[in-house]
Amino acid sequence: MSKSEAQWNAAPEFPTSHYVDSRLYTDEAILNEEKEKLFKPAWIIACHESELAAPGDYRLFTHPAGVPLIVIRGEDQKVRAFYNICPHRGNTILYDPSGNAKRMTCIFHQWSFDAYGSCVNITRETEGYQKRFSKKDVGLREVRCEVAFGAFVWVNLLDDCVALREFIGGALDILEPFMQQPLEVFHFHKAHIRTNFKLWHDTNSEFYHDYMHYFNRITGLLQPGYFERKYTPFPNGHASVGSMQIQYDKYEGSKERAVGWPGLARGGWYMVDLFPGMTYNLRTSVIRIDTSVPLGPNDVLIEFRGLGLKSDTAEERAQRIFDHNMIWGPFGRNLHEDLLGVTGQGRALRKGTGSRWILHGREENSTIHDEIGMRHYYAEWSRRMGRPAYDPYRDGRPGPVRAAA
Amino acid sequence: MKTEQRQAIEELIYRSCLALDAGEFKTFLALCTPEFRYTLSTYSPEIKREMVWLDHDRKGMETLFTNLPRHNSDHSPLTRHATVYTVESDGAVAKVVSALQVFRTQLDGGSTELFAVGRFHDTVALDGEAPRLARRLVRLDTRQLGFGNHVPF
Repeated sequence: MSKSEAQWNAAPEFPTSHYVDSRLYTDEAILNEEKEKLFKPAWIIACHESELAAPGDYRLFTHPAGVPLIVIRGEDQKVRAFYNICPHRGNTILYDPSGNAKRMTCIFHQWSFDAYGSCVNITRETEGYQKRFSKKDVGLREVRCEVAFGAFVWVNLLDDCVALREFIGGALDILEPFMQQPLEVFHFHKAHIRTNFKLWHDTNSEFYHDYMHYFNRITGLLQPGYFERKYTPFPNGHASVGSMQIQYDKYEGSKERAVGWPGLARGGWYMVDLFPGMTYNLRTSVIRIDTSVPLGPNDVLIEFRGLGLKSDTAEERAQRIFDHNMIWGPFGRNLHEDLLGVTGQGRALRKGTGSRWILHGREENSTIHDEIGMRHYYAEWSRRMGRPAYDPYRDGRPGPVRAAA
Repeated sequence: MKTEQRQAIEELIYRSCLALDAGEFKTFLALCTPEFRYTLSTYSPEIKREMVWLDHDRKGMETLFTNLPRHNSDHSPLTRHATVYTVESDGAVAKVVSALQVFRTQLDGGSTELFAVGRFHDTVALDGEAPRLARRLVRLDTRQLGFGNHVPF
């Protein structure tokens, strides 16, 4: 039966933990608050250590909270992260997304900094500052940085943040046995999508959208045990999904994966969603990492990485790349469908469309089509934002009221 | 190289674009040799690596095309605009480099946007009645493709 406006706007007949206000995805003020309360205190993956192989190697990364960062390996082999902002006149220091810099020199006035963040040159220093100010008085703003959990480079903007391992809270335990060998990034691309960053994380947090993927319907859904896979919630809003067996030979033109992954059952698949916007995804022969960087309430830049083993032979690497591209590349079967899905949500949820509620109401004993992953995420969202996701304004307009019987 | 042969090679490149634009995949494959291979690659300055994003032999391309209707895809038409820059031939094959622009036109309203730029690096077999594609390497400059696409360029 179709609904009137009042019925459409009335709160869903679910517990308040089982739906959220759709204005969560469209409001710039909420996004700005999310940057402060969700992203700034979080440990975020900036890149992988294999992208910084040699001393002086650097990568640029725009933190989801908005801060431009330089991640650089020092001559002492330690990886550090700094604001990519010159302390002199606020200019960008490094422009290329990667490179090797013995000295990081601002092109504006040629102030230079080393990989420890120390200022090593101020042009015409004594002429301009006499004895009032010198190199030792300035330096780059350093942020917390650790290499862990598969040798990814994690950054945190808060000096007094919790330890990385405490933040992860055991969520990656399920994957750590598979990340004991050195990994190497072989794929990187960015996708600029007109949707809210949380909607991409939601897609990574629920498998009910299996029905969008012909590939999953053929290789997964029909297999015994598919629906028994369990979500496991972890502290701080993270969640993992247990393994299953993917039968690739069920897809026409495909075949059993030849390479596999050390320790992983053939055709196995594990996922870990990390609050507030990262995902580890180990599927048969490849690890995929998603990192979301919100650009606006209905605008997100997603960084996708594909990783194999550093020890891969040329043949093994070529197979991993082929496997990755078939599903997850920019022309891959599943990624295009997933990104189309969240683009459609972005279109339907933008301000003024009349969208009102997003349902997370499926309960299937925490198994694969249960929507517990999203409920767990929004419980953490509510905790950190200081109000419930079903009523983010607490303004009573139009408010979570029940429809008249 | 005779002008007629060069014209036939150029027409092959353009016909391959027309066939893919129209979704006439059998027509496209008819322009290819049995040993045809299609590769789409690009370079990432971020990770400082060459990346292959698609790599299929003729059988793989046939499977890709066969499975297209089974997937949920963006249906905005693509328009491939190629300009043949150079043709170098040793008699048996020709090496052809073409500029490529791919435009995407929205179904609703018909606005057109530039989707990708790059080059075709084609190897054309000249040993038959008509030139045929033996190898196509699509070398993309564009790396941000939004939600991507299921149809090769």
